[in-house]
Amino acid sequence: MRFYLSTLAGHRRGVLILLGWSALEGVPAFFGGKLVGTAVDRGFAAGDPLAGVLWLLAFAALAVAGALGQRQVFARLGDVVEPMRDALVTRVVKGVLNDPAHRRTPDASAVAMITRHVEVVRDATAGVLVQARALLVTTVAALVGLATTAASLFWLVVVPIVAALLLFGLMLPSLAKRQRDTVMADERTAEASGAVLTGLRDVAACSASDEAYDDICTQINRQARATINVAWANSLRATVIALGGFAPIVLLVACAPPLVASGRLTTGAVLAAVVYLTNSVNPALHGLARTTSTVVMRLMVALTRLQEAAPPADKEDGEEIPSNGEFVLRDVTFGWSPDAEPVLRDVSLTLRPGDHLAVVGPSGIGKSTMASLLTGLMPPDNGRVLFGGAPVDRVLPEVRHHAIALIPQETYLFTGTVRENLALLAPWATDEDLLHSVEQVGAKQLLDRLGGLDAALGHAGEGLSAGEAQLLALARVYVTSASVVILDEATSHLDPAAEARVERAFARRDGILVVIAHRLSSALRANRVLVMDGGRPLLGTHEHLLKTSPLYGQLMLAWDPTHHEETPLPKR
Amino acid sequence: MAKPGDALLFSVVRGDHRPWLLLLNAAVATTGGLLLPSALARAVDMALGGTFVLVTVLWLLLLAGTEIIGDAIGIVLAATITSRATAWLRRRLAQHLLAVGHPSPFAAGDAVSRMTGDCGNAGGVAVTLITLLVTAVSSAGAVVALALLDWRLAAVFAVSVPLAMLLVRTHMQLTADDVLTYQEVSGEVSARLLDSVSGLRTIAAAGIADRETGRVLQPLPRLAAAGAGMWRTQAKMMWRAGLLLPAVEVAVLTAAGFGVLEGRLSPGDVLAALGYAALGMGVVGQIPQLTALERTRASATRIAEVLDTPPPARPPVVRGSGIALRNVSVDGALHDVSITIPEGAFAAIVGSSGAGKSTLAAVLGGLSTVDSGTVVRDGEVGYAFERPALLGATIGRSIGYGTDADESQVRDAAVAAQVHDVLIRLPQGYETPLADAPLSGGEAQRIGLARAIVRDPEVLVLDDATASLDTVTEAKVDAALTTALPGRTRVVVTHRPATAARADLVVWLEDGRVRGTGTHQRLWDDEDYRAVFTGGE
Repeated sequence: MRFYLSTLAGHRRGVLILLGWSALEGVPAFFGGKLVGTAVDRGFAAGDPLAGVLWLLAFAALAVAGALGQRQVFARLGDVVEPMRDALVTRVVKGVLNDPAHRRTPDASAVAMITRHVEVVRDATAGVLVQARALLVTTVAALVGLATTAASLFWLVVVPIVAALLLFGLMLPSLAKRQRDTVMADERTAEASGAVLTGLRDVAACSASDEAYDDICTQINRQARATINVAWANSLRATVIALGGFAPIVLLVACAPPLVASGRLTTGAVLAAVVYLTNSVNPALHGLARTTSTVVMRLMVALTRLQEAAPPADKEDGEEIPSNGEFVLRDVTFGWSPDAEPVLRDVSLTLRPGDHLAVVGPSGIGKSTMASLLTGLMPPDNGRVLFGGAPVDRVLPEVRHHAIALIPQETYLFTGTVRENLALLAPWATDEDLLHSVEQVGAKQLLDRLGGLDAALGHAGEGLSAGEAQLLALARVYVTSASVVILDEATSHLDPAAEARVERAFARRDGILVVIAHRLSSALRANRVLVMDGGRPLLGTHEHLLKTSPLYGQLMLAWDPTHHEETPLPKR
Repeated sequence: MAKPGDALLFSVVRGDHRPWLLLLNAAVATTGGLLLPSALARAVDMALGGTFVLVTVLWLLLLAGTEIIGDAIGIVLAATITSRATAWLRRRLAQHLLAVGHPSPFAAGDAVSRMTGDCGNAGGVAVTLITLLVTAVSSAGAVVALALLDWRLAAVFAVSVPLAMLLVRTHMQLTADDVLTYQEVSGEVSARLLDSVSGLRTIAAAGIADRETGRVLQPLPRLAAAGAGMWRTQAKMMWRAGLLLPAVEVAVLTAAGFGVLEGRLSPGDVLAALGYAALGMGVVGQIPQLTALERTRASATRIAEVLDTPPPARPPVVRGSGIALRNVSVDGALHDVSITIPEGAFAAIVGSSGAGKSTLAAVLGGLSTVDSGTVVRDGEVGYAFERPALLGATIGRSIGYGTDADESQVRDAAVAAQVHDVLIRLPQGYETPLADAPLSGGEAQRIGLARAIVRDPEVLVLDDATASLDTVTEAKVDAALTTALPGRTRVVVTHRPATAARADLVVWLEDGRVRGTGTHQRLWDDEDYRAVFTGGE
């Protein structure tokens, strides 16, 4: 909400211009009743048609001014609303992409939800600016106009309006609750359909179309009921507002006869008062009942949701400069929470340029945590992760990102040319550099099939298999000048042959290579192996570990029993 | 100009009787609204006459009451109609997307936005149309009322009608393009955001969040331009409407003024004339409704696009024992593949990345269709995947998904898949909502396995379904599968030599063709075969 207001404030000039034009738009409301009343009173009814026509022409001139104001209001609306939407989208996208702590990354339906909320904010802002502004300008102008023409009836008119508005305010909390329920139902519908639509393959595999359909329908029907619930509240509210708008008119005509009879009220004044109420105040009140409150409510809910989707990033950048290319881990311990069993316990290890480390262990044991610690994405709970003598998470970001490259299991491909995708981390790379790295990781055939560097990729590497996508992600890092490369199961979708080729290619580069192993064959290619099994990790060469670690032996045996017959244990 | 979605919108309106109720309600409320200005005129004349007449005031109250209550009922009815129509469209869309099945020609994000956004827009069609109709009728009624007051008033007013029609017509053409562009660009931004979100770890590690934000937001200027275009059109319309309305009012008021001068009309009638003029011009104030109608049609077109996509023809399965493929081809993936897997056999499918292993697995169990050739098999097929999408409300339900398996069957399957120990440690055990369960890739894989086991299929197809498991766990799962589902045909896509070695039969794929079949031990003699696993080391 604060962000929203500050963004609007950032377009203060636009908003002020908008309000300026609104004032112009309110002019007919202010003078309208009076001019019509006078035209009849002093013109037509007094037998002076020329005066009547002139007063009406004055009314017309004001109306033109009002229309001009309205035109400008709408034309300016784009100047406020569109940049506001741009700023909102920018901030949300930035927030989502800048949040490495996202343990549960948003999925397709969450992204669709973000888009919808942004649209709600856009429409609602426009709605508020049009309706609430019109209500304010018109009502105030008309009431002031009324006070100047028929002062004796002023309170008669104002009290019902104020009472209705108060009652309306009292109904807001229950309305807000129903409105929130609707939004929640909306989200659940999106979630339920999102889950099924992203999992169509699995629905087919389970022959579960019926259950999937039922799950979606449950949410769809709930959503429909919630919408109808809100409508009941809206209907009640509209009635209150309508009564508040109409009661003054009835009171006016009911109380006017004695005042007119005694001459305290002129024909013109009565006409003016009725015109103010019917032509200005009533439409404005109806506008409030019909849209504004719903819109404001939707606006608030959407803003809260967007805030949750993209929390503001406030991370402080480090400024340390590493003195060399060495990694030193000293008694590093890390756990997801203070009570949980640590994922890493007392890891000490030194990596020098030329080192090739494989990290092996059962699935789910937290091997990826190693990768996150080494890249400085997370600081350790205890101990130190030093890169060139400086804590890696405190290293100047430009230096750190330049020197250390991580390739995670889930690849990032975006819509654009193959060249753009490959040069993501090395924008300076020439086509030859790119082709060379493609060749090195064994993606030449793939590149030829795609149609070369200029070929276009669809969203999320559409049309590529998971393995092919990984090959492109690997070539992308190969072309960089990173001196530390961490493959976090980055070859999980490749066949073992392709995996071996990739690892060998990276090992040929200078610097440090850390392979979070998906298959144990990775350990055979490394000059050192870190075994993680939940306890204190073991570090050593393949041969050393075979002798000393029963777990390592067991892992190796299970990997390929056919080899067991001829050669007891696989050798490097 | 007819759009593909118009027929769909027609069936939305036709499927419900409530629009008729709304119409009836609107008829009563509109009648009240049409009589109201004249009642107000009588009341004002009464006030100006200086004597209080009860009947006049009561008549005014009655009409106002009718209008207010009618409006209140109208709000609930309109919401009911819209939400039911939306739900109907959503159910139809869901049903059709499920019928089209896998692989779907519509990206998941796009399909979700059609389901949530477009169905909501299109569901409002009946209410939008009725609102437009009622406004038109009430405008016509207002003209008649003016004529009853004084034919000159109606004549003056009638001059403005062609102008109003012109206004309405141009607006339809002006907004359609911008609205469509806006929706398209907005979808493009979502798709880009989804790309980046899946690569969040890459982006974080490389520190390129700001650059990638720029990439996601690249289409933003086009979005803003389309948005600004919509506002400009709106402004133009408001300007015309803003001029037209007072111009008509002044014309009618002048005519009414002369009526007062000549004693044909009372001062109250002037107010009535003003009221009827405003009512009559109400049709011009329907500009937002026209935009809504345009959006409704655009959305309906996007829904119709899905509904008009025919579900792929799934030829009936040829029954036979075991599984056999005869000259099966799938465009771009498999070429003339013929294999026979005897009933009860354990077959492994091996090959390099992109050799067509997953396609073969999908074809074997009928998950996707073939372009040519025949598939012969018997009995139900259970699938487990490398990255299963888990569905259903709870963890337990995600295992029993699509079946009526009871608690103990679910539990037994989880035990066999080596995941029971993980699940009982979740906050609410098997009842933990799927969304609240933090699962690693390997845990999800094992739940996916349990989901295949619980169906007790004749044929089990594991498409790299143990890839995230370490080899020790994999061996345990393998042994448990043999115990839980004895004697079933089992087809396993694998990268692991140990798995291939356990198989009765290995199908070795290369570039979508069968390169060889036989036992692992026999194929192992071939250097090319060994290279599939070891990379030629």
